[in-house]
Amino acid sequence: MKKTIGSIVKHIVLLVLAVIWLVPIIWLVVTSFSGYKGINTAHFFPTSWSMDNFVQLLTRPDSVVQYVSWFKNTLIIAVFTCIISTIFVIMVSYAMSCLRFNGRKQIMSASLILNMFPGPLLMIAIYFILKMLGLTNSHFGMIIVYSAGSGLGFLIMKGFMDTIPMSLKEAARLEGASEATIFRKVILPLCKPIVVYQVISSFLIPWGDFVFAKLMLNSGVSKDWTVAIGLYNMLEKSLVNKYFSVFCAGGIVVAIPISILFVIMQKYYVEGVTGGSVKG
Amino acid sequence: MKKISGFFKAIGRYFKNFGVAFAKGDIWVKLSAVIMGAGYFARKQIVNGLIMLIVEAAFVLMCVGYAAPNLAKFGTLGTVKFEQVFDPLTMQTTTNNYDNSFQILLNSMVALFIMLVFVLFYIHNIKTVYKLQQMKENGEHINTFKEDMKALFNEKFHITLLTLPTLGVVIMNILPILILIAVAFTNYDQQHLPPNSLFTWVGFKNFASLFSNSMTVTFGYSFRKVLGWTLVWAVMATFTTFIGGILLAKAINSKTTKLPKMWRTLFIISIAVPQFVTLLLVRNFFADSGIVNTICSNIGITDLLKHAGLVSEHLTYIPFLTDPHWAKVMIILINIWVGVPYQMLIATGVLMNIPTDQIESAKIDGATNFQVFWKITMPYILFIQGPALITDFVKNINNFNVIYLLTQDVFVTQNQALANSHAKEVDLLVTWLFRLTNEYYDYKMASVIGIIVFIICAAFTLISFSRMIAGDKEEEYQ
Amino acid sequence: MRKKVLSLTLVAAMMAGCLAGCGNADSKDEGTTAAAGDSTTQAAASDDAIQNLIDATTGTVDLSVWASEEDQDLTTQVIEEFKKKYSDVDFNITLGAESESKAKDDILVDVEAAPDVFAFADDQINELVKAGALQPVQATYTFDVANENVAASIEAATVDGTLYAYPMTADNGYFMFYDSSVFTEDDVQSLDAMIEAAKKANKKIAMNVSDAWYVYSFFQGAGLDLTLNDDGLTNTCTWNQAGGTDVAQAILDLFKTGVFVDMDDPTQATAIAEGTICAAVNGTWRAADAEAAWGENYAAAKLPTYTVAGKQVQMASFSGCKLVGVNPHSKNVGWSMLLAEYLTSEDTQVTRFKQRGLGPSNINASESEEVKADPAISALAAQAAYATPQRVGGNYWTPAETLGSILAQGNPDGTDLQKLLDNAVEGIEAPVSQE
Repeated sequence: MKKTIGSIVKHIVLLVLAVIWLVPIIWLVVTSFSGYKGINTAHFFPTSWSMDNFVQLLTRPDSVVQYVSWFKNTLIIAVFTCIISTIFVIMVSYAMSCLRFNGRKQIMSASLILNMFPGPLLMIAIYFILKMLGLTNSHFGMIIVYSAGSGLGFLIMKGFMDTIPMSLKEAARLEGASEATIFRKVILPLCKPIVVYQVISSFLIPWGDFVFAKLMLNSGVSKDWTVAIGLYNMLEKSLVNKYFSVFCAGGIVVAIPISILFVIMQKYYVEGVTGGSVKG
Repeated sequence: MKKISGFFKAIGRYFKNFGVAFAKGDIWVKLSAVIMGAGYFARKQIVNGLIMLIVEAAFVLMCVGYAAPNLAKFGTLGTVKFEQVFDPLTMQTTTNNYDNSFQILLNSMVALFIMLVFVLFYIHNIKTVYKLQQMKENGEHINTFKEDMKALFNEKFHITLLTLPTLGVVIMNILPILILIAVAFTNYDQQHLPPNSLFTWVGFKNFASLFSNSMTVTFGYSFRKVLGWTLVWAVMATFTTFIGGILLAKAINSKTTKLPKMWRTLFIISIAVPQFVTLLLVRNFFADSGIVNTICSNIGITDLLKHAGLVSEHLTYIPFLTDPHWAKVMIILINIWVGVPYQMLIATGVLMNIPTDQIESAKIDGATNFQVFWKITMPYILFIQGPALITDFVKNINNFNVIYLLTQDVFVTQNQALANSHAKEVDLLVTWLFRLTNEYYDYKMASVIGIIVFIICAAFTLISFSRMIAGDKEEEYQ
Repeated sequence: MRKKVLSLTLVAAMMAGCLAGCGNADSKDEGTTAAAGDSTTQAAASDDAIQNLIDATTGTVDLSVWASEEDQDLTTQVIEEFKKKYSDVDFNITLGAESESKAKDDILVDVEAAPDVFAFADDQINELVKAGALQPVQATYTFDVANENVAASIEAATVDGTLYAYPMTADNGYFMFYDSSVFTEDDVQSLDAMIEAAKKANKKIAMNVSDAWYVYSFFQGAGLDLTLNDDGLTNTCTWNQAGGTDVAQAILDLFKTGVFVDMDDPTQATAIAEGTICAAVNGTWRAADAEAAWGENYAAAKLPTYTVAGKQVQMASFSGCKLVGVNPHSKNVGWSMLLAEYLTSEDTQVTRFKQRGLGPSNINASESEEVKADPAISALAAQAAYATPQRVGGNYWTPAETLGSILAQGNPDGTDLQKLLDNAVEGIEAPVSQE
C-alpha cells in the first residue's frame, strides 16, 4: 500500500516536471504556426493558425530571411568542422593515451590550461589573425575557427581509450604491426561510441554559435550568414515584431537534423560519454 | 617546490646537452651551426639536409621580410599616424604609409613565436647532428630518408599525429592568448583605436586601476561584485544540473516507474532544439509583458507574490529577468531546465553500469534505499563523473551563452556603481568583458580581466586535475 | 555659403595644379580639364571631376553598402537607378543589412573591413569620426549637400566644423502618438490630463523611461543640462543640481499612477496591436504600427507637459537624423561619395518618404504638401522647438539607463533621490580613458 502511494506520487512529480520541460517547447511549436508575426503576449495558443511562417522561411527569401542559404552554409561548415575536429581529436587522444613519449604529461597539462582562457576575448585576436590570412567572410575561415583548436578537447576520448586493455596493443605489436596499423586496425574500431559522441558534439557547434560567426561574417550580407546569426538577427528590436513566429519556425526546422542525428546515434552517445569510465 | 626545481634542472640539462654537442661535435656539427643541413650531408642524409637548408632559408627570409620591419616598431608600436588627402578633382585619396599598432603587435608576436620555435628547432638540429656523428663513430646504422619516413608511422608516430592539431591550437589559442596578454600592458581602448590612432605600452597601469577604487572609476568594486556572482553561478549551475540529472535518471530508471522510455523521451525533446533558440525563446516567455506574466496576473499569482513581498508593490508584473534577485534565481532555474536533460542522459548511462553486487549485498545487510543511494551510488557516480564535473565548473565560469542570451537588451542594472563601469549584477566576468570590448572597445581592461579569469580557472583546474594527470590512474585500467 | 565657396576654391586650386601637372597627358584629358578651367561654376567643375573619375575607372567597381533591414527594398531600387545613371561603368554593388542604430558597433571592430557606404544614426558620429571611419565631405558633385538640407541635419553631420556625412532623414527623434478616441486635443497638452483620460478608458500610456534616450526628456524639459564637452567624448551634466530631485520625484509620481508605464520598443508594438496602450512616446518607426491599429483615430502631437513641483513643464526631446557616411578606407572613395550623394538626393528622399514615411532632411522634399500633411512629421516639427540634437558622450548611456530604470521601478531601495542623481551624474561625467 505504502509502495503504491509512493509510486503514484513519483509519477505525479514526473508528470509535473515533464510538463515544465515541455511547456516552452510547446509554445515554440504553436507559435511557429501562428498567423500573427509578432510575440503573442496575451494568449498561450495563437488566435489564428497558419503555415505561412514555414512557407515564408523556406520559399520567400528577403533581406531578413535567407533560411535556405543559411541552412546550406551551416551544413557545409558543420560537415567539415565535424570531419576535421573528429580527426584531430582522435589523433591527439590516441597520442596521449596509447603512445609514450617525452613531454607527454607536460603537453597534457598545458592543453588543459590553454582551454581556460575566456573565448570571447580571444575572438578579436583570432579575427585579425584570420584577416591576415585572408579568411574572414568565408566558409573556410569559419571551418578553421570551429575546428582548428579542437585538438584541445581530447580529454573525454582519451579517457575512453585509456580503458582499452594494453594487451590488445601488445599482441598486435608482437605480430609486427606498426603503430599506425595498430591505431587503424585495433584501436579505432573499438572507439566507435566515443567517435560518434565526438561527431555529434562537433557537428552541433556551428549550429549554436552566433558570436564568433557574427564577427567573422561581417559583410552584412544576410545570404552569407549561418542559421544562428540569422535567427538571432530576427530578434533585433526593430524586427522582432515582424519575425518572432518566423524565428520559432526556424528554430523547429533547425531542430530536425539535430534530432535525426541524435535519435540515430543516441545509443552510442550515452555509451561514449560514460562508457570510457564505466568499462574500467 | 620539488617540481619547480626539477623543472629548472631539466632546462639546465637541456642547454648543457646542447653545449656538449656543440663543443664535442666534429667540423660538420660545427658547420651545422651556420649551414643547418651540413651535418646531414656529411652522413649522407641528403633529403634531410635539404629540408634543413630550406627551413633555414625560409627562416632567414621571414626574418628579413617580415620579422625585422615589425619588430623594429615593436618597442613603440608605431609612430606614424594615419593621414589621408582627398583630391576633389580626381576623387581619389592618397594615404600615407601609416603604422597600425595592432598589426605591429600581432605580427611581432607571430614573428617572435616563429623565432622561438626556430631556436628550439635549431638546438634540436645540433643535437641530432651530434648524435649522428656519434652513431657513425660507433658504426651504428644510420637511417635512410625512407626509414626516417617510416619511423613517423612507428616509434615517432606521435609527431605525425600531433603536428596538425598543434598547428591549429597555435593559430586559434596560443597566438591569440599571447597577443591579448600583451594588450593588457598597452593603452588599447577607444581613445587609441587603430588604424586611425596609435596605442603604446603602459606597463602595469591597467592592473593597478583594476584593484584601486578611484573617485569616479568603480572598476575594482565591479570586479569584486562580478567575480562573486561568477563563482556563485558556477557552483550553483554545476551542482544543480548534476544532482538534478542524477535524481531524474534515478526516478525514471527505477523499477517501479512505468514507461521509462516515454519519460526519457519527453525530457530529451528539449535537447533537440539548439540551446540559443530555447534561451532566446525563454527570454521572451518570461518578459515583463510576456506570456507567463499575462497568465500569472490572470490567475492571481502576481498579486499573491506581491502580498508575500516578493514583488514590489507598484509593479504590475513579475520582474523575472529584470530584477537582480529574480533574474539570478531565474537564470539558475533556466539553466537547470537546459542542462538537466543532458546530465540525465549521462547519469542514465552511469547508473546502468553501476556494480549491482555491491548494492545487493548492502541491501541484504539491511540498508535502506536512501542509504544505498548516498553510500554507494553517489560515491560511485562522483568517482566516474569527477573530471567531467570539474570541466563543467570551468565551462560554467565562462558560460557566455546562457547569461548573454537571457539578459542582453533585457536586464538593466539598478546598481549605479556597477553601471558606471558598464557592469550588471547578472554579469559573469566573461560577459562583462565581452561588453567592454564589443560596445566600449576597452580592450586593455578586458584583457586584464581575461588574464585574471584565466588565472582563476587555471589554478582551479591544475589543483583539481593534478592528481589525475600526475597520478598513474590512466595505466591502472590498461 | 562659406563652405560652398571653400570647396569651390579648393576644386579650382586642384585643377590649376593638375593643368600644370598633366601637361603630358593625352589630348582628351587636356581637353576636358581646359574646358573646366574656363568655367567658374561648380556644376561644370563637378561634372568634369565625375568625368575624370569615369575615365580613370577601369574594370569593375566593387562597392559595399549597408542599409537598415527596413530600407533594403528601397536601397536596392536606388542602387539600380545609380547603376543606370553611370551606365558606362561596370558596378558590383553588394548591399548588406545593418541597423542604423548599431552601425558603429560593427564598424569600429574593424574599420578597414567596414563597408564603403553606410547609413547610421547621428549620435554615433563623434565616435565614428574619432575612429577614422568617416571620409569628410570635402567636395560635393551632384548637389550641394550643405545647403540643400535643413540646418539641423547639417549640424548633426558636422564635427568641429567639418561636414562628415550626408543627411538622409531628419526624423530620428521622438514625439507622441495617441488614439484620438481616448484623448481630445486638449488632453494631449498635459500628461496629467492624459493620465486621467487613459484611466477612464482603462488603457495605458507607454514611454520607455528605462532607456537613456527617453529619460533625458524629463530633465532637459525642466532646464537641467546634459552637454558634450569640447573633447567630444565626455559629458557635463547638471541633473543633480537644484530642481533635480523634483524631476526625479515627478517621474516617480507618474509611475505611481499605474497608467504611465515603462515599456520597451518591441513591447510597445505588441501592446499597440493588442490595444492595451492608447498613447506612446516613440518615433516614426512605431507610429506606422499605431496608424495601422488605430486607423482613423491615429493622431500625433508634440510631447505633453508634466508636473514638476506643482508647475507644468514641457517635456524636451532628442532630435536626430540618419546619415550616410563614406569609409575613408574604401578603395573607391570617389564612387562611394557619388553613391552616398545619390542615396541622399532629393528624389531619393521623396521616394523614401513615400515608401516608408520617413521625414526628409532635404529642404525641398520636406516642404512638399504631402510631407507637411503627415501627422508624425508635423508632430516632430512641433516638437522641434523643444528638441536638442543628440550629442552625448558614450558614458551617458549606461548610468542614465540605470537611473531611468530605478525611477521606473519606483525607487525600490528607497535611495535618497539626491544621492541617486549624484551617482548617475558621477557616471555620466566619468572620464573616458579609465586609467
